[in-house]
Amino acid sequence: MGSRERQITLTIARRLAGALPAARFGLAPGRVRRAAWARALRRSFEDLGPAFVKLGQLISVRPDEFSDELVAEMESLQDSVPPLPAAAIREVIQAEFGADADALWDGFDDEPVASASIAQVHRARLREAYRPVWGDVLPAGADVAVKVVRPGAEATVRGDLAIARRMAEGLVRRRLVRRVDPVALLDEFAESLDRELDLRREGRFSDRFRFDFRDDARVTSPRVVWSRTTARVLTMEFVEGWRLSEIDAARAAGVDCFALAVHGATAFMRQVFVYGRYHADLHPANLFVTPEGRIAYLDFGIVGYLTPAERVNITQVMAALVYRDAERALRYSDALGVHVPADRVEAVRSGLGRLLDGTTRADGTRDFAHFGLGFLRLLGANGVAVPSGYGLLIKSLATVEGVARALYPEIDIVDTARPFTTRVLGAAMGDPARLRERLPAALRAALRELTA
Amino acid sequence: MTDDVMRFFAAWMLTHEAADEGLKAAVSRGDAAGPGGMSGGPDAFVDGLAALVAEEKEKLKAALEARARGEEPLDTGQRDPALDELRFEVGEMRGRLDAIEAQLETILRTLRG
Repeated sequence: MGSRERQITLTIARRLAGALPAARFGLAPGRVRRAAWARALRRSFEDLGPAFVKLGQLISVRPDEFSDELVAEMESLQDSVPPLPAAAIREVIQAEFGADADALWDGFDDEPVASASIAQVHRARLREAYRPVWGDVLPAGADVAVKVVRPGAEATVRGDLAIARRMAEGLVRRRLVRRVDPVALLDEFAESLDRELDLRREGRFSDRFRFDFRDDARVTSPRVVWSRTTARVLTMEFVEGWRLSEIDAARAAGVDCFALAVHGATAFMRQVFVYGRYHADLHPANLFVTPEGRIAYLDFGIVGYLTPAERVNITQVMAALVYRDAERALRYSDALGVHVPADRVEAVRSGLGRLLDGTTRADGTRDFAHFGLGFLRLLGANGVAVPSGYGLLIKSLATVEGVARALYPEIDIVDTARPFTTRVLGAAMGDPARLRERLPAALRAALRELTA
Repeated sequence: MTDDVMRFFAAWMLTHEAADEGLKAAVSRGDAAGPGGMSGGPDAFVDGLAALVAEEKEKLKAALEARARGEEPLDTGQRDPALDELRFEVGEMRGRLDAIEAQLETILRTLRG
């Protein structure tokens, strides 16, 4: 066992041992016991650094695979680590550009504005004006955020990932895990991490997002300065404002938070149903409210994609929620890759029926999170594999609902989606291939009506 | 034969008329139901869809009438999406070139330094 492997094992073991009293040495009731283990695991992930912090974030979006307690703990995982000294960050900049930070920007601030497991962000000013991919020219002197991948982060993450994979293989070999496939989860994680470590991908998505919302003055994303961007350094417009977690300050400054909640949710639906690409890492720290009352989307590290066919199918699943139609939800989930084995269909259908019945709140609005996350749990409990994209979308919709309801408790996310889902279904109905397929049956039905 | 043809067209006209009336009724129900209308079930969904289509139809009618009068199409503030897409692609390409240029400068600095 290598030294890092020993360190990982010892850290997790120490935290789990520390949780023994809270779990009453394994004798506490199920929920209390699971919560104690989950808390210990979350703390050990925070101790172990970037790879584990990111892994925890991945666990937090998989309620189909993990217990409610573990998902809740991992949601609260803080991706905030002590900042590195500016000298270390300046070295990365020097290696990327062959020049000192002070030669590339004016007033590069050594005090970081944010410090997370993978990257650290510093404020600086543009030396000369820059014409971005889309939008107005950024003038010389404009404030920019310089996001820099922490030195060694990539090697550390990849090394830890290789160790974690070996350990996961051991767990599978000894049949210590049944419900979860940890090796597949880690492989999925490695893919997502590859994307996150190359900051150019994030920059490209920010540009695309800005373009997609070019007709919406209330939604924005930072403009990217490509002449000062590499795989490990991303320079973008500095967005002034409040994080959604500081919404009280925005409210005090006169921002209309109700309108913001509705518009923010609508913007998300537009990403999903119109463009088929969406910000899949939405949490209050990644959403800013500007003093002009605009919503700024930041940090496009995790992005979800949907093909046109997937958009139609997910729309049908939402329609199933509206009509309380379990059969429809199952049929279209199957088209999305959720294949329920024949011997489990009845159990899943009846569980789904109960979920659908409990989806309407006392005020008449629908609880998407109750339905969506409950559905994922139901599938997991019945041993049904859920494609990661499907889980990610449901989790994202549930998050958007949570964020929007924190601002405007009466919002019904399903109603917000309605204009979009209606258009998607309308377009699907007019699809020539579908018309060719359905027209004979429709004509027969019409003739039956006429001759009845 | 002539009778058959006449009956066929009469049936066609009747079907058309009934469908037209049905559509108008659906549009008016969809308008009346408002944003929460979809929750009423599949029929309400079709009504909502009909209302959306009717909205588009009115826009199309206005545009065609304006064109018939020789007027410029109404300026809805929207540009040609295809043209915008092209401009974006050019912008993206410019961004990539900027990044490549920065990398070349880095290589030159490294070689010199």
